[in-house]
Parts: sequence; C-alpha cells; structure tokens
Amino acid sequence: MAQTTLPAPLDPEITPRAPGPGKSVRFGGLRRIVIAVRQAHGVPKFMLWTGAILSLLFVLTAIFAPLIAPYDFDTYQSGGKTFPKQGAPDGDHWFGTTVQSLDVVSRTVYGARTALEVMVLAVVFSLILGVLLGLLAGYFGGWLDRILVLVMDALFAFPYLLLAIVAGFVFASITGGGVVTAALSITVVYIPQYFRVVRASALSAREATFVEAARAMGAKPSVVIRKYLFGNVIQSVPVIGTMNAADAIGTLAGLGFLGLGIQPTDAAEWGYDLDRAISDVNAGMWWTCLYPSIAMVIAILGFTLLGEGLNDVLNPTMRRRRITKVALPALSRRRVVTAETAKTAATAESAAIAATAATAEEGEAAK
Amino acid sequence: MSKQSGSLRRYILTRIALAIPMVLILLVLVFVLMRVAPGDPISASQGGKLNAAELAARRHAAGFDAPMYQQFWDYLKSVVTLNFGTTFSDHRQVRDIIIENGGATLTLTFGALVFASVIGIPVGLLAGRLRDSTIDVAGRLFGILSYAVPVIVAAPMLMLAFGATSGQASPLVQLNVPTQTHILIVDAMIVGDWDAVGDIANHLVLPSIALGLLIVGVFIRMIRINLIQSLQGDYIEAARARGVKETAVVGRHAFRNAMVPVITVLGLQVAMLLSGAVLTERIFTWPGIGRQLIDYINQRDYVAVQGIVTVFALVVVVISMLIDFINALIDPRVRY
Amino acid sequence: MSRTKRVVAAAAVAFLAVGVTACGGNKDNSASGSKGAVIVGTIDSVSSLDPAGAYDYGSWEVIDSVYQKVMRFPTGGTKPEPDAAKSCAFTDPKTYACTLQSGLQFSNGDKLTSASVKFSFDRMLKIADPNGPSSLFGTLESTEAKGADQVIFHLKSADSTFPSVLATDAGAIVDEKTFPADKLLAGTKVIGSGPYTLDKYTAKQQASFKVNAKYSGPVKAQNSQFVLQYFAEASALKAAVKDGTVNAAFRTLSPTDTADLKKTQGVKVVEGTGTEKRYFVFHAKVKPSDQKAVRQAVAQVIDREGIAKDAYNGTVAPLYSMVGNGIDGHTDAFKDKYGAPDKAKAAAILQAAGITAPVALSYTWTPSHYGAAAADEATAIKRQLDASGLFNVKLSSTEWQQYQKDEKAGSYASYMIGWFPDLPDADNDVSPFLSKSPFLGTGYDNPAIQALLVKEQGSNDPKVRNEAFAEIQKIVAEDAPIIPVWQGKQTAVVRDGVTGVDKALDPTMFRFYELSTGK
Repeated sequence: MAQTTLPAPLDPEITPRAPGPGKSVRFGGLRRIVIAVRQAHGVPKFMLWTGAILSLLFVLTAIFAPLIAPYDFDTYQSGGKTFPKQGAPDGDHWFGTTVQSLDVVSRTVYGARTALEVMVLAVVFSLILGVLLGLLAGYFGGWLDRILVLVMDALFAFPYLLLAIVAGFVFASITGGGVVTAALSITVVYIPQYFRVVRASALSAREATFVEAARAMGAKPSVVIRKYLFGNVIQSVPVIGTMNAADAIGTLAGLGFLGLGIQPTDAAEWGYDLDRAISDVNAGMWWTCLYPSIAMVIAILGFTLLGEGLNDVLNPTMRRRRITKVALPALSRRRVVTAETAKTAATAESAAIAATAATAEEGEAAK
Repeated sequence: MSKQSGSLRRYILTRIALAIPMVLILLVLVFVLMRVAPGDPISASQGGKLNAAELAARRHAAGFDAPMYQQFWDYLKSVVTLNFGTTFSDHRQVRDIIIENGGATLTLTFGALVFASVIGIPVGLLAGRLRDSTIDVAGRLFGILSYAVPVIVAAPMLMLAFGATSGQASPLVQLNVPTQTHILIVDAMIVGDWDAVGDIANHLVLPSIALGLLIVGVFIRMIRINLIQSLQGDYIEAARARGVKETAVVGRHAFRNAMVPVITVLGLQVAMLLSGAVLTERIFTWPGIGRQLIDYINQRDYVAVQGIVTVFALVVVVISMLIDFINALIDPRVRY
Repeated sequence: MSRTKRVVAAAAVAFLAVGVTACGGNKDNSASGSKGAVIVGTIDSVSSLDPAGAYDYGSWEVIDSVYQKVMRFPTGGTKPEPDAAKSCAFTDPKTYACTLQSGLQFSNGDKLTSASVKFSFDRMLKIADPNGPSSLFGTLESTEAKGADQVIFHLKSADSTFPSVLATDAGAIVDEKTFPADKLLAGTKVIGSGPYTLDKYTAKQQASFKVNAKYSGPVKAQNSQFVLQYFAEASALKAAVKDGTVNAAFRTLSPTDTADLKKTQGVKVVEGTGTEKRYFVFHAKVKPSDQKAVRQAVAQVIDREGIAKDAYNGTVAPLYSMVGNGIDGHTDAFKDKYGAPDKAKAAAILQAAGITAPVALSYTWTPSHYGAAAADEATAIKRQLDASGLFNVKLSSTEWQQYQKDEKAGSYASYMIGWFPDLPDADNDVSPFLSKSPFLGTGYDNPAIQALLVKEQGSNDPKVRNEAFAEIQKIVAEDAPIIPVWQGKQTAVVRDGVTGVDKALDPTMFRFYELSTGK
C-alpha cells in the first residue's frame, strides 16, 4: 500500500528549537508529533482515532490470544473428541473448522499474534538498519553514500514480493524457518524506504545552521549524529513505521499464501490459512476464508488509517486554508498571501507524493 | 527550438548514463541473491529419486559448480543478447517465456488499469472538487479501504461472491484461436471470433478487479490531490476573475492540469502492477509471467528466475526512465 | 467535454461493453460443444518433450502418446509386451535381443529401423541430461543394430528388470533425422511414431494431440484428438471440470476437491490404484531412531487407516509393505507382524528394551514438495504418536531443498519421504531404498537384504524373485527402518458422456487413447 506520503522535510528553523541542552532535543521531533496529534480535527482526527482503535483491537487480540481463543492454534480435539473436518460454524465452533480440523476462531485469533510478532520485528529491524545506514550515508556522504544509494535504488527497483521471497530462502538456510525468518525477509524490503527518507532529512539537517555551528565548535561526528541529526530525522519515522506495519501484515500473508512463510505446525498464519481456504471456497465453504480475511483487513486497515491520520496531522500542507471568500479590497493582500501559501503547500504535498509513488510499488505488490 | 531539443537530448543521455550503474548493480544483486539462496534445480527435481553422489555428478554435468565469475559472465552475456538464458527445468528460453506468457500478464495489467481508472478517476475528481464533503470523505475512505484489502483477500471473496473462474480462457478458445501476437484476446479479435473474445473477457473480469483494487486507492488519492492543487492555481483564480463559468473552470483548466501528474503515477503503477500480478495470477491460474516465476522458484531454476526477475527489474527501470523523459518533454524545467 | 475526459469515457464504455459481452457469450465454449476432441485438465507440468531430457510423469504423459518404445506395458498390465518390436528375449542373462516390426514409420514419413533404436539409446546415454532418465539405464553397456530389424542390448550385469525399463517412456524411439545426436531437440516440433502427433503445444498451457495416421502398433485410439490443458492449481482444475470447460481432470485434485466433486451432478469421480507411496523413514544412526524398539513401537502404534481418512479423505490406501499394492511380489509384511495399531503391545516393546516412555522423537516434513496435504499428514502422525502416550513428537518443517540435503546427511531422526516408482516392478520399490547407496538417508545397511537384491536382479524366474522379495519385506517389517504409510489412489474426474476412463486410469501411465466423448 505504501501511501506513505512522507512528511515534508522539516524546516530546522521552525522545529526543534536548535541545540537546546540535554536529551530533550533528541526527541523534540516526537514532542512535535504529540502536539500535532492533539490539535487534530475533522477527517484526520477521525482516521487517527479509528485507526488507533482498530490497531489497538488487533494488538490486544494478539497479546491476549490465549485468553480469547477457545483453543490453541493447533488443537484438533477436546475431551477426547476430534473436531469435525471442515465443519460449518455451529455452537461449538463459532467460525467452523478447517481442513485440518482446527478451530477457525482460534486460528484467526492466534494469527493476530503471529502477525504482530513478525510486524514488530520487521519494523524494528528495518528501522534500526535503515535509520543507521541513512544517517551514515547522509552525514558522511562521499563514496559510502554513493554506493549505498546505488544499492538501495537497485533494491528499490527489484520486484518487491520476489525480494521478500528470495530473502526468505536465504535466511531460512541460516536461521531456520519461523517468525524471525519471515521478519528478516520483510525487513530487506523496507530498509531502502527508511534509508531514503532518513538520508534526505539527514542531508538537509546537516546543512542547518545549528549543526554547522556544532561542527564548527569541534563536535565529533558521532555526537553530531546522535545529538542533532537523530532528533531531526526521527520525526519522519512514525508515519513510515505505521504504514510499513500495515504493509508487513500484507507481505507476511503474501509469503504464507505462496507457501513460503510460516508453516502451519509452527504457528497460525492468516496467509497460509487463506491459501488452504481457496480449495474450500471452490467447494462452497466460506468460513475458512472469510474470518481470517476479515481479521487481516481490520489489522491492515487499522495501521493504514493510523498512518494516514498521522500523515495528515504532521503534514501541515494537508490543512485546508481557512479563508476562501474575498470580497473587500482591504483584505486582498491577505488573500494573496494565503493563496500563495496554499499553493506552495500543495506543491510540497504533490512532490512528497511523487516520491512516495515510487514507494508505492513496494507495498502494493505485497498484497 | 534547436537549443531546446539539444538540452532535451542532453537530458535523456544523462538520464540513460545514470541508469547504467544502477542496472549493473541490479544485475549483480539478482545474481548474488540467486546464488546465496540454497538449492539447485537438480536436487529440486531429482532429490527424491537419486542419492547424494548421483546428484553431485549431475550438478557437475550441468555446470552448477562452475566458478562464479564464469557463471556471472554467462549471465551478463544472456542479458546483453536479450535472450536471458535457457531455463534448466524445461528447456525454454526466458525470452520465449516473456513472449508467450507476457501477453497474459499484459492483458491482466491492462484490465486492472481500466478498472482502476473507471472507478478511481470519477471518484477522485468528485472528491477533489467537492472537498471535505461527504463524497470526499467517502471516496478517501474507500481508497484507504481498497488498499487495506490485499489481493489474497479480495480474490477469494470475489470468487465466493461470483463463483470461481479460472485460467485465461476456455481450453477450446485457446485451441481454436491461432496464435499470432501471444495476446489471446487480440488474437481472437484478429480472426474475428467474438464468442472467444467474450469468453476471454469473461475470465478477465474478476482477476482485473482483484488486481485493480490494489491501485484504485492510489488513483483516487492522486487525482483528488492534484485537482485540489490545480484548483488553487493562479490561473484558476484568473479564470474565475474573468467570469468563466465554474464548470468550464473545473473541466477545461483544472482537470487537464490535474491529469498530468496522474500520467506519471499511472506509469509507476504499471511497474508495480507487474509484480503485484504474481499473486493474482496464482490465485486465478492466469498463465502470465508471475505464475511462471513462482513455478520456477519452486523448481529452483536459477536461470529462469534470474532471467524473469531481470526482465521485471529492467521494465521498472525503463518505465521510470520513460516517465522522466515524458515529464522533461512536457515541463522543460525538469531538464535542468 | 475535454479530450481527456472523452478518452476516459470511451475506456469506461469499452470496459463495460466487454463485461456485457462476457456475460452473454460464454455458452459455446464449454468442452461439451467440441467435436470429438477430449479435453483433459491436469496440474502436471512438462519438463521436456525430448525423451532424452524427460524423467517425470508430466513429460512422460506427452511422450507416451507421441513416441513408440521397443516394449510397452499393455493397458492394465505390468508385464511388458512388444510395441515397436515383434519379439524380444534374453539370449543370455546379459544380452537382450529384439526383432522390430517391419514397415514402421515416424509421423513425418521417415522409416523406423534398428538404427533409429540404436540412435535413440546412444544419444540418451551420451547426452545424460541432468534432468533426463539415463540413470534408469545404468546396466545398459551398449546397443547394437544388426540388419534393419535386429536390435541387441548388451548389459553390464544381469538385470531382470531390463524389459520393464525398456517399456518405460525413457525407452522412447526418436527419429534420427530430426533429433540431434548430442543435445536435446530445441523447440516443440517433436517427431515420433506413437499413436498421436503433437499438433499444437503452448508450454505450461496446452498440448493438443491428433491421431497419427502413420502409426501401426497395438494401441487402438478411441478418440481422434485429445487436448491436455495445464493448470497451475488444483482449485482451478476442479473449477474447470465442474463447469465443463474440460471433459476430464486427472492428476491431481486435493482431497477437499474430490469430496466436493463426488457430490456434484454431471461429473463422475473414478478411483484406481496409484503408484505414489509415502513412508515414515528413520535414520538408524540418529537418537532415538537408532534403537530398533523405538522404530518397532512406532510401527506398532501408527494407524494408517486414520491417516488416510484424516489427512486424505480416503483418497489414499493404507500400505503395509515396501512393495506397492498390486505389484507382483507384494506381501502385507507389516500387517502380518504388527496387526492392528496397539498401544499396549508398543508399550511392551519399549519396556522390553528398557526404554522409558514417553520417547522424545522429532519428525520432519517438507511443505514444498509433497503438496499441501503433507502438513495434514505430519499433523496426523504427531497426533497419533502423542495420543499413544509413548511418544512426544516434535514436528518441524524444512523447505525441500534443505530438506533433501539434510535427510541424506542424516540430520533428522525421522522424516517423511515419498516415492513414485519408474516401473511396475517390485525391485523398483525396494532397491532404491535398501541398496548400499540408497537415494535417501536411512543409516540402515543390511548385507542380507543386499544379497537378496542381487539374487532377484539376476533371475528371470518369477518364483525365485518373489521369494527374495518376500524375505526382504519380512526383514524390513522386523527392523522397521522405513515404515510404509500409504499408497495413493489415482483419481480421475470425468464429465458425463466421457467413456473409457476405467481403462484409461492405469497405474503405469494414464491411457489418454482410451477416452472418448462418443462423438
């Protein structure tokens, strides 16, 4: 999906109040996010809240899966009685049972847990690697930057799902199958995204007056990166992170669907269940496919809305200019100004989108 | 004029020159990934029949233990000659796979684009024009919803709702329509077999929708934003000030300008759709390149996967280059 | 209306128009409207149309129809009979001599002579394609053409299975004027002398076969044309046979699909004996599989009927011997030794060996080679063993490439392996598993069995051979290095009005020529 409209690179003049003392600087960007979120209104507010509620629902389901699900993800019998095979929904099994005589409620609920695990790992891995590489490339520039950019661009042009698949093979031979492997193969796909964004903001921040001042005063590169660049760069992360989280769920399911993800004996995974359900769909059994589908859509929708909402809120260009009617000549000057700002704003947004359009090829393919 | 075309030529040449190292890195990446991934086509197909010594002998005979630089050289040669190698598992030239199966992928991608345009453009325009109205909000939410529904969810749901359809067309259609362009629906049109065209189209509808849903959200979003942006342009204000009717303002001025960036996005979507088609093709057993790719991956056919991936990647690079050229043509500022 | 808008509108209209036509124009394209052509859907795939490069069922389906062989298996039989040959016989245990029929021609009019036969075998061994069948002819020393109709096969060692090997599609005879001598034929214009010619071929999509007018041989084709339609997924194949776009479906529908089709009007599900087998294999050098009692206890507990029912909806049959059901020399050795699944007996076996239950046993399977139901089989096995209270099974899965490497290297205590025999001969069911260098990792090396193998391979006397096989099966049941689990049933689904499927469903090879739509 990767609608990730990246927040326009921040203007260092207005945002983190320059080299303030201590740690607060590093997370100044984050504070700005909190403020912006509080000020949200209208559609963005709606998206933020719906997204947050759906995501929370997903996360809570995942965490409390053992309490919610009536059975374990691989339970096939209860009280000595084996569950029916492909049984239609009834009082015992609200969502029916699968071809492996597993309870669909339990599979769906535990599927959330697997998705969350992979998602968190994938986002954290790609965040760490992407931010690190991006900062290094952006700060140091030179041949390191050039090589990294080339490799990342090449990875970017790589058919997305295939990259995940091949990465999956490679990691499976090193770490074995399972959650970590799946997360690692998804990570490879997202690193270039973080890298690009972080490098861009690092580049622009590097030229900022306060950073130059710090360097002029003899601050070490590690200090500059840690103290000044990181804080600036970190604010673009929540939006991409949320969008990637949504993507990761889709990608994991795509891999599972192709039989290349997590195996059914290791954990419950929605994509695998959907793959097995295709046969059922053709035989008129709707329940094995419907419920995991709904769960997946809720999870993806939650994070997407959250990401979209954050993006709307953090990206001031989305805010509608308030003044539309102009009648009095006395106000015309003001009007010109607003029109001008609105226009630049819109241009900034469309530029951001053009940048994302490339990103789009990533996420969408995952589905 | 001559100066302008000169700068355009220079721009194009620079752009191509910049693409070359990128393509090279891409080739190395493809090659390395395929070699790092465990397994080979021989143990994939014969591992359940032969013992380790026999397998090793066959691997040697097939040249899988040849030095890496030699294998890379062969690979480079196959790319430069545009035949992309011969598959190991079924002795097809990758070029032939692209020709024979590319038609199906193209048809599917086109169907998806048509679907996305038919839904996305009107909704996007309405949403953009009537900003912050109910239609706008509904349109945007529909857009978000559409990309929250992955192909692997959309496809089975469509199959449940409309009954399963599969394959590119009925076997008899495939049998009776003489192959000319390798795009079945076009072949059927050439010989004027309209029943066959109908059959093919019938099979095309569901996969197109499943794949089209993937991008319809992007369409809505892009068109909405671009329309909003052009409605805020000075020339719109000017037109309004001149007393041009609102419909004309929107239709003649804003719409046209809003569509230019959309073409860019459309181009990028084609590249994205090509890889998105992998899952659609698998679910609907659509005989396109994506399905071949998955087959060959499962058979560990290095050469085939390497070749197909290379072609995919080159398509992406070339399309993004073409878009840059088009933009440069339209908007001279880009050239500098 | 702006230009762009007009374009968009036109596109919309076109799309809708196509959609509308689609809803109305589908009637005449169902397979039932065809004239004489039988359309068979399959999910098999073809790796080569050239016999020298083909060693898989999907390719052999094509090769069997397009080429003749020196010998062939008759419909429903496992004893090879002459095909291109008039007669064949062992002149001594290491020499097999055949006389060809006179007047044989390839479909392009070229003559089929002893030189063609020699050429076919020489090139196959010379090319030794990595995906080819040359390993089947490991005992063939040389081929000699004597006159126009005499072919003499010189063997390296006595091999009683040689006539059967000749009858597989690895022994297909090709036209020496069309096929290159040292490499595979490029392209799809293949020439043979079989009952059909390959009329139109689109890789992975469709193969169309028309009756070969120049064919003279034992096959009486019941149709004038048949089409193999290749599907990538079983679900699509099933949909196609359900809505009638194909007349028949063969290989391989999922158990769910088969169950659903049995309830569907207008189609008939036909089952016959299959050749695919599945085994529970131990590596006898890995703990705890190194203990015979552990292996025996598993053999004692495992419930084959349950696996067939739970994991496969009854689409497979229980197998109690290394040698397949219906193959000459088969005995129900495991049933004879262990009887019905019995926890108490198994517990006694473990106790007698001083092993305390539950035994921790790891079982590995692969999701990427044996189809989706392999997961269900592995699950069923774990459930059965755990339920006995004697075992504590840890399931793990590995992708096929790594799997077959690890399995050969002895990394797994126990694992799943499948087998498709190349020929309907008991030897082909045992020697690949139990010879000194088996194709799979068993850690089991039994000189007594190896001696028996040499004995049966060196004899043409069915009695001597069957005695040896019976002894081998008994030893395997006792030592239980490999536990046979099931043998596949072949399932074909035909639309009403299609005849001949009972004959066509032959375990050796599907006989497409027996099918007819009656038109």
